[in-house]
Amino acid sequence: MFPELSPLLGQVYFWLFAVIAVACAVNLLLSRHPLIGVVSLIGVMLCLSGLYAILHSPFIAVLQVLVYAGAIMMLLVFVIMILNQGKDHQVPGFDRSAIIGILVPVALAWVVCRELPSAAALSQAAPERGGMHELAARMFATGGPGFDTGAIGQGWWLLFEVGGLVLLAAVVGAVLLAKRHLETDADKADKADEPARLSADEVEAHDPHGAH
Amino acid sequence: MHVDPLSVQVLAAILFGLGLAIALTRRNIFFLLMGVELMLNAVNLSFVGFSRTHSGEASFTGHLSPLFIIAIAAAEACVGLAMVICIVRGRDTLDADAYSEMKE
Repeated sequence: MFPELSPLLGQVYFWLFAVIAVACAVNLLLSRHPLIGVVSLIGVMLCLSGLYAILHSPFIAVLQVLVYAGAIMMLLVFVIMILNQGKDHQVPGFDRSAIIGILVPVALAWVVCRELPSAAALSQAAPERGGMHELAARMFATGGPGFDTGAIGQGWWLLFEVGGLVLLAAVVGAVLLAKRHLETDADKADKADEPARLSADEVEAHDPHGAH
Repeated sequence: MHVDPLSVQVLAAILFGLGLAIALTRRNIFFLLMGVELMLNAVNLSFVGFSRTHSGEASFTGHLSPLFIIAIAAAEACVGLAMVICIVRGRDTLDADAYSEMKE
């Protein structure tokens, strides 16, 4: 399907991507300006995309670059630049409760890292997963004609459709949310214009009268 | 490829912890959103790592779940950023602590 790296090269790439991802995430935690944070987050996502490719999930790797680094981060940069009033430097980065906010994730990560080595699932051998056509066959259950739920029966295609509906609803909701203020601004402008328009209407109403 | 599954899970836990720290401690509203995105990414990495160590149907489940997580994350970012635009237009600040009138 795609060329296999040698074990040593796989290890090297894994640790390279892991170190860069953690460094970018720490930079995101400490950066002052949101745009620097966005660039750090894009670095994390590109490294995660490389990790997915190493873990034999090329489709998710491509999707990570396309959707996360491409679409979501572009949207975030766009909104930051729309709303950037030069004020975001004045929002304090941390406050006093930040110590608790740091301690909770550290405790969580410590517990997870302590319990993980005893997890039985990690000791199993890595299975061979199929390529894209195998994934599509699982997802859409293309064993029979059309969408055959009985053949494999996990119902992934139904989730796929529901995901499409959620995305559509989100797009409509986002447009409505962001548009409402534009409408009120336009309404304010209309209200400011109203006396002038009324007088114009009156002139129009009176003009034919005068003409007659 | 002989990547240790344990290191993948530890990396996912570290990234999740960093995302949680960002979402909990930063006060700028954009950093909150980015922390949530980072947590979602860490969970995706955990799913993909576990899909390498499980067999059969569980492997495919771990492989397919990130697709839906990415789709829902896109919807979440879309609506979240629209709400940020909505809030910041009326409030004129990016400080998450300023959005507290439901408390009062």
